[in-house]
Amino acid sequence: MQPMTEFDPAPLIPRNARILDSRRVTAKERHFRLALEAPLGHRPGQFVMLSLPGVGEAPISISCGPGDEREVELVIRACGSLTHALHQRQAGDVVGLRGPFGNGFDLQDFEQRDTVIVAGGLGLAPLRSLIEPLAARPRRYGHVTLISGCRTPADELYRDKLRAWAQLPHVDVIRLVNDTAHQPWDGEVGLVTAPIPRLDLEIPNTLAVLCGPPVMYKFVIMALAARGMQNEQIYVDLERRMRCGIGKCGHCQINQVYCCRSGPVFRFDEVATLPEALT
Amino acid sequence: MTSFLANEQALEDWLRRQAERHEVYWPQRMGKASYAFQRLRRRSPLRLDRLDDAPASKPFRASACVVPPGRLLAPMQELLYRFEPDDDGGYRFIPCLDPTERLIAGIRPCDLKAIHLMDAVNAEGVPDAHYLTRRAHTTLIASNCLQPCDAHCFCEAAGSLDWREGADVFLTPQADGQQLVECLTPRGEALCADAGFSPCDAPEERRQSAEAHRPQPFGRQFDAPLVKVMAAVDETWDSPVWDKHVERCFSCGTCNLVCPTCYCFDMRDDLDIEHPGCGSRSRCADGCMLPEFAEVAGGHNFRATPAARQRHRVKRKLAYLPTQFADGSFCVGCGRCGHQCTVDIDIFDIANDLAAASEAPHAADD
Repeated sequence: MQPMTEFDPAPLIPRNARILDSRRVTAKERHFRLALEAPLGHRPGQFVMLSLPGVGEAPISISCGPGDEREVELVIRACGSLTHALHQRQAGDVVGLRGPFGNGFDLQDFEQRDTVIVAGGLGLAPLRSLIEPLAARPRRYGHVTLISGCRTPADELYRDKLRAWAQLPHVDVIRLVNDTAHQPWDGEVGLVTAPIPRLDLEIPNTLAVLCGPPVMYKFVIMALAARGMQNEQIYVDLERRMRCGIGKCGHCQINQVYCCRSGPVFRFDEVATLPEALT
Repeated sequence: MTSFLANEQALEDWLRRQAERHEVYWPQRMGKASYAFQRLRRRSPLRLDRLDDAPASKPFRASACVVPPGRLLAPMQELLYRFEPDDDGGYRFIPCLDPTERLIAGIRPCDLKAIHLMDAVNAEGVPDAHYLTRRAHTTLIASNCLQPCDAHCFCEAAGSLDWREGADVFLTPQADGQQLVECLTPRGEALCADAGFSPCDAPEERRQSAEAHRPQPFGRQFDAPLVKVMAAVDETWDSPVWDKHVERCFSCGTCNLVCPTCYCFDMRDDLDIEHPGCGSRSRCADGCMLPEFAEVAGGHNFRATPAARQRHRVKRKLAYLPTQFADGSFCVGCGRCGHQCTVDIDIFDIANDLAAASEAPHAADD
């Protein structure tokens, strides 16, 4: 037994989470649904630290909307030793989970506002946690325009969800690929910046939300600024590789700002002066 | 608070008695010229070694301690928790907190300030239970500096030479070879209560008269006041100074490893080969000068060049963290990074050059 001390180590200690199902969504990504011992109580845009004891730990965005279910959904791309090992795990297996961490989105900011959401590639995974609540309460949150881009049709995440959201009267969905790669495709071809000039927006009452690969942000922000959007109207969900999630390990630092604590969601005016924010 | 006078023999005997009850650490000679904070064991010979140029009045010469004493509070590798299979296909996670009673002696004011800063860092926001548990069970005995440790020292310029906060007991060598023993906390009082030292009055005057014999200037001095140096570091983003000082840099991370205010870490898992499914997670010291430190999944690196990493390290010490915590520079002027750097890159020179560049009429930075 450990002697008792007055300090609580809980933030660094995982809890058990059992895989309810894991299904392949693209060649590289799998969608996981995990059962938790207690509801996460998360906000959209927050993340968890997911671990396989003996293998390692990584920050993973929460992909489901907030709720009080004892479940969480994550989309995980196999790109390192931990995520490759996670892809081998099956329903019934147990993983470690800490969190939720980060600030996330404040849904109050979106009340009675129209929202343009720009997702690049895997950026759709965290943004789904925001899209779900916005799409579910049209009278509270206003019109949603979702621009979702990926490299090829085979890379598209949440195709069923994208089509279902597109059916809603208060949601427009624009799906793009950079390249059809000779695959069947019923969306547009081009970069996520392409549709922005033609969007029918009431700019003063509109917010924009971005998440995607590092190269995407600058160009989308330029396109939004060209439409007259101010930095205060733009939210960016930034990617860093946190090790602790509680503002100590230093890995996620953007100049003086700890992304894990002050972010990963920032109103762009908060980070526009930080040279390390976008590149 | 009570003060005493003690000769070196009495201090030695006292520390040896403490070692019967606690883990006692102090600087001990490792090889020819290197010192390290090592555990004093019951039977290990007590060697109050001195460097050749050290005056006899410095019983705890810490100048060549490569690793700062704060690493006893935040070890290079530290167990966070163990895990073992539970009956339900999951894991039992068993936190590892270390409440061992420790006493660290021979801490220099620069390292004392560094520990104070690490206390603030670890208590702020989400408190770090592992650090704070060790800290709560550690007694600090600091030794005043009457001369610079070595040619790399710039503690006075960095504002840490006269740091005393955080010490339980503070020692100052006296001209007659005795040590002034000042108890600064109740814990220090309790420690000295049965020491058999001679009570003394006017400790302030005794300390100040000893400090009056310090050389002037004390160690290296910046060409501008510290506030101006810190302002220059804060305001400089693009500057040839960053590039100038990394031309030789190997990105080896030594500067991070020896810095008393570097606390970044990585995580590692270890499996117990004898007990399937059992193992542990530790955190280990990491450094922002290492190339992959700010890399994310997919390979994008937010600080890809040595110059960008050097800028981050220097700004963390002299701009970022001082803005967040109100105790001045996070570079305490111990000189370790410059001393240990294989290619003689020194944060003192970088900061000085940045200050000079910002003073110049046509400053190169924007």
